[in-house]
Amino acid sequence: MHERLSFHIKRDSVIHRLNPLTKLVLILALILIAFTFPWYWAPHFLLLLAIIPLGILGRVFPEFFKTATRLILPAASFLFLMQAFFQPIGEDVIFKFYFLDITQESLMFAFRNAMRVFVMVSAFTLFLLTTHPSELMSDLTRRGLPPQFAYVIISTLQILPQMQAKAQTIIAAQRSRGLDTESTFLKRAGSVLPLVGPLVFGSLVEVEERAIAIEARGFTSKNVKTSLYEIPDPSFDKFIRWSLLGLVILSIAANLWPS
Amino acid sequence: MKIEIKDLRFTFPTGLEALKGISLTIEAGEQVAIVGQNGAGKTTLVRHFNGLLQPASGSVMIGDWDVKKYSVAKLATRVGYVFQNPDEQLFSRDVLTEVTFGPKNLGYAKEKIDELVQRALSLTELNDKTETNPYDLSPTWRKMVALASIIAMDTPIVIFDEPTTGQDALNVARIANAISELRMEGKTVITITHDIDFCAENFDRVIALSNGQVLLDGPAREILGQDEVLAQTYVDPPQLTRLGKRLGLKETVRNQEEFLKAIT
Amino acid sequence: MAFVNLQNVTYQYPLTKTPALQNINLQVDEGEFVAVVGPNGAGKSTLCYALAGFVPHFFKGEISGTIEVAGKESSKSTLDEWVLNVGLAFQNPFNQISGAKYTVFEEIAFGLENIGVPREEMKSRVEDAMALTGIRDLADRSPYSLSGGQQQRVALTSILVMRPRLLVLDEPTSQMDPIGTREVFGTIRKMAEDGMTVVLVEHKMEWIAQFADRVVALKDGSILLEGKPGEVLTSDLLAENGFGSSRYTSTAREAKKRGLWRKENLPVTLDEAVEGFALTLPFSSPKGAPRGRGESGK
Repeated sequence: MHERLSFHIKRDSVIHRLNPLTKLVLILALILIAFTFPWYWAPHFLLLLAIIPLGILGRVFPEFFKTATRLILPAASFLFLMQAFFQPIGEDVIFKFYFLDITQESLMFAFRNAMRVFVMVSAFTLFLLTTHPSELMSDLTRRGLPPQFAYVIISTLQILPQMQAKAQTIIAAQRSRGLDTESTFLKRAGSVLPLVGPLVFGSLVEVEERAIAIEARGFTSKNVKTSLYEIPDPSFDKFIRWSLLGLVILSIAANLWPS
Repeated sequence: MKIEIKDLRFTFPTGLEALKGISLTIEAGEQVAIVGQNGAGKTTLVRHFNGLLQPASGSVMIGDWDVKKYSVAKLATRVGYVFQNPDEQLFSRDVLTEVTFGPKNLGYAKEKIDELVQRALSLTELNDKTETNPYDLSPTWRKMVALASIIAMDTPIVIFDEPTTGQDALNVARIANAISELRMEGKTVITITHDIDFCAENFDRVIALSNGQVLLDGPAREILGQDEVLAQTYVDPPQLTRLGKRLGLKETVRNQEEFLKAIT
Repeated sequence: MAFVNLQNVTYQYPLTKTPALQNINLQVDEGEFVAVVGPNGAGKSTLCYALAGFVPHFFKGEISGTIEVAGKESSKSTLDEWVLNVGLAFQNPFNQISGAKYTVFEEIAFGLENIGVPREEMKSRVEDAMALTGIRDLADRSPYSLSGGQQQRVALTSILVMRPRLLVLDEPTSQMDPIGTREVFGTIRKMAEDGMTVVLVEHKMEWIAQFADRVVALKDGSILLEGKPGEVLTSDLLAENGFGSSRYTSTAREAKKRGLWRKENLPVTLDEAVEGFALTLPFSSPKGAPRGRGESGK
């Protein structure tokens, strides 16, 4: 069974200790600046001067590096190629590939967009690595987010590994009945129903029973909810959040400034 | 068909060492119950018999087949496995289609499939429910459909994982009856169970697992009387065995007949 | 007046043709431990849902008669108020995991967060409940990584921690090993002695006889028989209606036919069986109950 259901890595660091909302604001600010600040190299600098140092400060750099190189880099590269090939801008053709023209402008454009996406996903990764989902939701609920909404978010985060585990059991059960899932594509296509059927029906039963189970534990109680975790929110955090907001406004303003 | 396990070890990706060197031989036609506390490794062990899990080291032979060399689908011709939860298995719109699925996968001739399906349906007393959608049946009957769908595959070895959980007395009797029919046909039946009375009444041989190792293995009569050893794996002897012991009977009794004979 | 009071309760699920409960009259006193037995499909789970307020508040359908717990009437109450008094745990442990929590400790605290228990009290209540059911060592595990039996303990603990006045349990130990089952029954028994009212659906007759104060036998949605465990569980009526029985009872019934059981009443527990069969075996010397842990009953 899956013991780890979240990306979160339990460590003690300055970043871990920040209020979850501060971290959320931080990554959103980084993303907004990367997309709005009207300087070509802005995303690159954010990555080098903000995200990587924050990862080191948060003591999650090895994990961050692993995710970045294995997951984010290939995705950003793919985006870069797509945009470079299919973005019909600019005159300065560098080379031709059959009917596709690669211009310097399209190359630059693609590169910046890929970097922006890289920054966005890296920032989120950093956030997930240093923030426990329960803490985030407790904090947001305390600030007025409806608990039902928080529940939906967390249970959705948890449902994927669960569905995966369940799908594996179902596949095991059907293979035990002689269903060949290892051979040709055609055969595999024919084996979809035996695999999907129990998954869907099982989920219907599960949803009903789970609704009963959480209702039995006061989920819709009108009492004011409390939280197991105390999530500190010192004035330092508030200061950071307001400063970040200021930076974002500056960045957007610079973007809109008629040049 | 003989099952031969030699020094089988298995570790989960989480690092949990579930089987720590198990060696067993199960002869063709034996009726074996596997008992032991939650987490003792019972399900992990039987999932090696049809290739769902691969040994980290050691070997599992099903007849002349080494499970490492055959796919699960192929091993399904020799080993039938009824999962604990029928909901993980059933998908057809009616019971007949569901029960036919297994034998059809194994590629039997049509006449043979019909014959096997009919036999499985009557063994599980489902004859009058062939056109019902399995999901319109109660969980109890769904369990019987799951049993039938494996029995119909006519494998020489049949594994049941906790067949009596959540079943009422009538259904437990139906399951016991199906197992005794399989015994008469000479099949090997291996059952994981917490229901030690059910175990005592239907199985000749008992294997008690504890922490991934064989704690006890032998004829039910010898094993079930050893209350102190069984307690190590959170198992109590059967009710009548305990009664016999308290009454000071010389031999270990397992079931009603043995008990009544012993006190006559 | 009884703590739990069901008067002429008849209930039918939506889209079904026959009632799941028919004219149920049942009274349970505060602190009483009542076991419900019956074949599959007898209406045991529906009765649990009715006590816990889910019938009819959650399932809808047609209901008549009145359901009262702790002086309140179900039809005049809302489900979220009702669950403050009545706790429910049922068979499938996997589906009882909230899905909102990452550790067993958080999972058990979930209900207390919902009803607004202050943080410090919450922590001590969770600790106490885990100690009671023997799952302290699971506190930091993910609920999803546990075995079925362990998950059942977590589900039970998650309800016990809410301190309901009426505890409704629908086969809470089906996936536990035998000794784990006995421990859990002992815990529930203790809760009842401390004043919690318990209604428990269970197939394991031997444990019922040892731990419950009263047994209600359901069949086809109606109460067939109710009374003391020793009387109900040994009655011929139950045997004729396809109810299960402990091996002590069924073997003594057969022995009686052969003249090997000389007492009037049939046994349900080991102690009763030893006592009775000792009369048949004049030479035997019954040994005393060897081990403790609920073996010799309450």
